[in-house]
Amino acid sequence: MRPGTAGPLEPEHPAVPAPPSPRVDRRPIGTRPKVAIVALAVLTIVALIGGVVLDTDAQAATRTPGLGPQGRQAQFRVECGLSHSATDDPIVHFGHEGASHLHDFFGNTTTDADSTLSSLLAGDTTCQQKLDTAAYWAPALFADGEKVDPNVSVAYYRPGLLVDPATVQPFPPGLVVVAGDSTATSPQPVAVAAWHCGSSPVLTAEPPDCPPTSMLAMRIAFPDCWDGANLDSDDHQAHMDYSRAGRCPSSHPEPVPQLVFDIHYPISGTGNTLYLASGSTLSAHADFMNAWDQDKLEQEVRVCLNAGRICGVVSGRATG
Amino acid sequence: MRGRRLIGVAMLATLTIGVAACSSDDSSDEAADSTATTAPAGASGDGATIAVPADHATIQEAVNAAAPGDLILISPGVYNEAVDVETENLTIRGLDRNEVILDGQFELENGIRVLADGVAVENMTAQNYTTNGFFWTGITGYRGSYLTAYRNGDYGVYAFDSVKGQFDHSYGSGSPDAGFYIGECYPCDSVITDSISEYNGLGYSGTNSGGNLLIINSRFNNNRAGIVPNTGSYELCYPERETTIIGNTVFDNGQTDTPAIGAAIDAMGTGIIIPGGVNNLVERNLVYDHPISGIILVPYPETNASDLPPDESTWDTPCAETKDDPLTTEEIPETIYWQPIGNTIKDNVVSGSGLSDLAIGTVGADPSTLRNCFAGNTFETSAPADVEALAPCEGEPAAGNWVDKAVTDILSALLAGDKPPSVDYETASTPAPPKQDNMPDAATAPARPATDVPMAFDTDAIVVPTKP
Repeated sequence: MRPGTAGPLEPEHPAVPAPPSPRVDRRPIGTRPKVAIVALAVLTIVALIGGVVLDTDAQAATRTPGLGPQGRQAQFRVECGLSHSATDDPIVHFGHEGASHLHDFFGNTTTDADSTLSSLLAGDTTCQQKLDTAAYWAPALFADGEKVDPNVSVAYYRPGLLVDPATVQPFPPGLVVVAGDSTATSPQPVAVAAWHCGSSPVLTAEPPDCPPTSMLAMRIAFPDCWDGANLDSDDHQAHMDYSRAGRCPSSHPEPVPQLVFDIHYPISGTGNTLYLASGSTLSAHADFMNAWDQDKLEQEVRVCLNAGRICGVVSGRATG
Repeated sequence: MRGRRLIGVAMLATLTIGVAACSSDDSSDEAADSTATTAPAGASGDGATIAVPADHATIQEAVNAAAPGDLILISPGVYNEAVDVETENLTIRGLDRNEVILDGQFELENGIRVLADGVAVENMTAQNYTTNGFFWTGITGYRGSYLTAYRNGDYGVYAFDSVKGQFDHSYGSGSPDAGFYIGECYPCDSVITDSISEYNGLGYSGTNSGGNLLIINSRFNNNRAGIVPNTGSYELCYPERETTIIGNTVFDNGQTDTPAIGAAIDAMGTGIIIPGGVNNLVERNLVYDHPISGIILVPYPETNASDLPPDESTWDTPCAETKDDPLTTEEIPETIYWQPIGNTIKDNVVSGSGLSDLAIGTVGADPSTLRNCFAGNTFETSAPADVEALAPCEGEPAAGNWVDKAVTDILSALLAGDKPPSVDYETASTPAPPKQDNMPDAATAPARPATDVPMAFDTDAIVVPTKP
């Protein structure tokens, strides 16, 4: 932990103007307007992240700051098994059953196209932490044409890199967060969407060949700054942003946990022909709807993240 | 950043008895003010006594209401709680170890999770938690005494990133990882003594821990593997080093039907195995009836490691000073082998091993250069043969073959791919814990926060145990 060492706030958006941030009033998830993704805005955000803040050399294997051995950053983590797979997306295609590419759903067992905060709160969970009834999902992975069922997902909740842990606030109930670009056809910044083997800190934009003792995983790092007002936005992204050098931009002043979501697949060896339901393996992305037991989420943020503690590690020793 | 208390503070605390601890908010504020420069509040443990359920219906409510130094006394009953402790210097005690039962019902994560310094937990049982029975993290000053942890999803009794601690008279069974774990600390200044660990994946595990870390006078049996300190760069503060393992009874580890993480399956069939640890002392233990080996030194192979092994000159640097060290920028091989170096194995009594009582087998290094030594052990077989002549603790080593058939046989056995798989911890046939000894005078003993740990132990006085 390095609280207090964050440098001064870097100039915001010096190279690429930020997309206009739609001011959407706080409202129940189920009533959000059904607005299609504004592709330009998505690409702009990704370019902004890639060009200004994060690693631009997405194709090279990158040892990303803040990763590596666990124990370096405060964290709590939740392991959740695969719940179900469906062509639903309650964020992007709310109310439209079957309108999405195939997703794998983790955590909440009831997530579907009609899910709302209240419906999720009434649901069960596949997570080891039974009070985590949030919904996590990502595009399904295919290997040689066959759908791959993941072994497990691991959601790490950490302060964003160099963010003062004491300032991190819990996600508000019903917050919707998406990360990664489902339309990407070129490498995304590995600090946002990446592949790796087992617990390796080496991230690559495309899946590496992994040994059987350390099999393939997809990693999505969610934005860690909230605008403080909106649970969602028209493009589902504008209400969130990434911190820069440990500071949240003034447009998104509220530090929230950085959710780093790993999905572990039973894939190893060479010669696998892999693609995602959303496109090539370059289109890695994931979605999150906060439907935690809010008291428990607040407790974990306070006692683990704010206090700078390691409340759980996923050991490098795979569970047999 | 967690505050690490100065070593002298806890000692000073005993000089301020009667001032530091009160249970009412007003007076404890006063006390804190008056002693702010000398002692943490409640360090002497002379606060109020809070009864559960008489004063508060739940343990969590009692803990939340407590002030530093207070004693929480829990009456027999089943408590379906996951308790977080955020107040320092509490003593949390069950009145009857076998009848004060925290039960997670396979729904809750930790029985008691301690997030404050100086907290002692005594004389109770935690079972059926999805992660751990008793868990301290990021702590200076911890103690778990007369605890029973049964059938929990990760660890039984567990300290991570914590120093100055003690586990004593405790029991752990039915966890896929370790019954007892102390990890990521150097120097740990901690002790496990008079404890029992059985029917777990690992009896003891400690990744990247050591430095005045004693594992003594305890029993490790019927786990997949018994005592397993190891190194790896998947967590901080590598390598594991300077753990002292004396006077333990270790037998029948090789149990095939326990829950087990991968490492437990990899190590199964061994009594004391040190994968990649350095400068450990294994002395005067009674070790018998292991399918593969009684006491064995091996490398820890780490695939996709986070870092390269640090230079030996840094091994005496405290963990707290290395946590923010940058990772190597050099290329890391796909698999690196953390070597067992400088370990001393002496005066143990080892028998009944399926392959070799004593063993050292390495991959990726010349074992004769690793400065491990064997002396004074009572044993019948070793890999390589005559290991005490090849690797004496004093005098000149004899010439000989360090990689004979016994060594290759033992490495092949460890690497075999057909070992019995894990069994789900919820449904494994882990025997229910036998009735365990209660702490003396639980109802009347004064509070004793973990400000006096670890206790001093005369390890020189420990003799090799006799078979139970």
